[in-house]
Amino acid sequence: MAKKTRILVAKVGCDIHERGALTMLNVFRDNGIEAIYTGRYQSEESVANAAVVEDVDIVSISDLSGSLVIICRKILSELKRLGADDIDVICGGIITKEDKEELTKMGVKGCFETGSPVEKTLDLIRELMAAKGS
Amino acid sequence: MGGSGQNAGHEFLRVINLSFLNIRVRVKVRTINMRQVKKAIELNRDEGGLVRDSTQSNIEVKTVYTPQDIADIDYQRDIADPGCFPYTRGLYPKMYRDRLWLKSFIVSYATPEETNAAFKSYIVNGLNDLRLLADLPTQSGLDPDHPAAWNSMMCGGVATYAINVYEKMLEDLPLEGVTYELAHSNVLSSIYFHGLLAGIMEKQGLNIRDLRGNGICDPIRAKLVYASPDWTTEINRRVLLDHIEFCLDNTPKWKAIAPNGVDPCQGGMNAIHELGEVIAVCTSVIDDLEKRGRTVDDYGPMVVALDAESDFFETICKFRAARRMWAKLAKDRFRAKTARATQLKIGIRTSGLSLQLQKPLNNAARVTLQILSCVLGGINSLDASSIDEAIGLPSYEARMFNLDTQHIITHEANVPLVADPLGGSYYVEWMTDKIEKLTNDYLAEVESRGGIYACLESGWLNSVMEEDRLRVQTEKAKHQRLIVGVNSFLGEEGPINRAISDCSYKVPTEAKRHERVAEVKLFKASRDAVRLADCVRKLYLDTKTGANVSRAIIDGGKAGMTVGEVCGVVRLGYGLGYDPMDTIPTPDFVEAALKGRE
Repeated sequence: MAKKTRILVAKVGCDIHERGALTMLNVFRDNGIEAIYTGRYQSEESVANAAVVEDVDIVSISDLSGSLVIICRKILSELKRLGADDIDVICGGIITKEDKEELTKMGVKGCFETGSPVEKTLDLIRELMAAKGS
Repeated sequence: MGGSGQNAGHEFLRVINLSFLNIRVRVKVRTINMRQVKKAIELNRDEGGLVRDSTQSNIEVKTVYTPQDIADIDYQRDIADPGCFPYTRGLYPKMYRDRLWLKSFIVSYATPEETNAAFKSYIVNGLNDLRLLADLPTQSGLDPDHPAAWNSMMCGGVATYAINVYEKMLEDLPLEGVTYELAHSNVLSSIYFHGLLAGIMEKQGLNIRDLRGNGICDPIRAKLVYASPDWTTEINRRVLLDHIEFCLDNTPKWKAIAPNGVDPCQGGMNAIHELGEVIAVCTSVIDDLEKRGRTVDDYGPMVVALDAESDFFETICKFRAARRMWAKLAKDRFRAKTARATQLKIGIRTSGLSLQLQKPLNNAARVTLQILSCVLGGINSLDASSIDEAIGLPSYEARMFNLDTQHIITHEANVPLVADPLGGSYYVEWMTDKIEKLTNDYLAEVESRGGIYACLESGWLNSVMEEDRLRVQTEKAKHQRLIVGVNSFLGEEGPINRAISDCSYKVPTEAKRHERVAEVKLFKASRDAVRLADCVRKLYLDTKTGANVSRAIIDGGKAGMTVGEVCGVVRLGYGLGYDPMDTIPTPDFVEAALKGRE
């Protein structure tokens, strides 16, 4: 039997908006994905660390403060530092056009604005998992 | 147009939305004339029809209401004229003819200078209730130089870490005769920033008894919705009571708490649970105050914050029910002797959650309807969300649109001319009654579980919020709840919608954040060390000995104590670590000030 996809849903810093993260947790679980949630008020370091310890395939960052560029850059570099840059990073929340370009350039595999259909996220996850060969 | 004759020659199709996948499967129902089938434009009389038979909070409704549905309602007892107990129709006899609702919204941009300029321009255009807020770290009790502050610093508002920033933000704005509201998420902020307002007034030689307004300061919402890391619920509940008593004695025009249902509702709670949570907090406040020897009459009118959601009639009836419920509780449970003590003033924030990133122009319709529901519901102050709220902080024109919408409702639509114009409607009175009954059932359950604080601590309140949230999520996915532009009526965005997205306020660059951190460090080093140490000691000891902490917080604020320092010193007074995030040590000057006193 194929290994189940594992995703870490994460929030970093003081952004209190949690509804998107909780929604995606439900969506992931309803679609046979093992989803783990960090809770709010985490640091980028602790998220990267949790991703490695939990042996996840993907980290999914939710943020509505407008700071995904700052957060994702740091998480990507932390993952690299831990030798875990095979873990993909995706994100959702408030994302401007410029943010999206920058996030894509730095290696974030998917950016989903609030209200975007969850199927788009699920499709991307399937693609990412296929690319990983599982 | 329309008519079956015009459909002749077209395929008559029914469009069924199967799921959230946005895959629309067309099922042929009936073919009239196959000859003209090529490239015919499909027309469906039933497209866009109703998909629900219940309100947003899943209150089932009939197709029509008649006198029979309100046969049990007694006009004098349950409704009464505006200005009369139980205030279902509003608090004042002439309602808006005498005085309109306060026009309010949060103004808080990345810098105090921008915020100050924005306030001034909005005031010129009719803003008369100033809602203050801070960035996300400040609302968590962290100064900008805390490592956990970096990624959300100056996001969602000004980093108002200390009095120097507040003075800049409020420069040339009046402090007397104006209503201020503190919209922050945590209890610490409501108390600290009330302290800064009072502190600035004292510095300017003004009488703090003229400070008017309220802070949300809701210990349940702080944990339920925000999981605020700064103070524990034990601390919050105690300092809230300190703060209320201080305000009753020293700033009597300031309501120390405005129990808040807006954010629990935004977090998922339906209207019944939102209202129940708010009423339960009001009740617990008076219960707690009675233990300190104060009565509901000492406290005076209750101020609460409720959400204006998209469901038009449900929202109107929620406001009517809220006033009636509190009036009865104040009189029956708390034996209020004064009319004032039975009055519930409702401040509004319209639903930010209802506003969408997709086709943001549609948000204008949403906000307009929400504002209208507030006016028809007889509310007292109104903070309408902005059409670009789903994209970023409100832009200038989006805010102006908020104010202008209220002016149009007032001066062109003439809506506020008559008090409670929907009063007596079979449906509205039935729904008001229904909401009251359902909320009372919910309150009985809260009570049976040990009250609102026990329900918070046990996690039960969270499970209620989560269950409601999931229900909405599921209904949206199944297309039992249509959100235009999001899960239905997708359409294309054109230049107008794109312009709205492009105009939204952008978060500050990292360079700006570096500047802020440098500024904080400079400010901290510039303070009078002796005076500061005295304030630290006083706050610590008042916390520890159970004295009222309010004066120590005001004096600390005046001496330059930051929000993070007030947070930390009170924590130390409770034997907790200084830093709620457990990443920075107690600052040396605090250690030194408290040496030998632990």
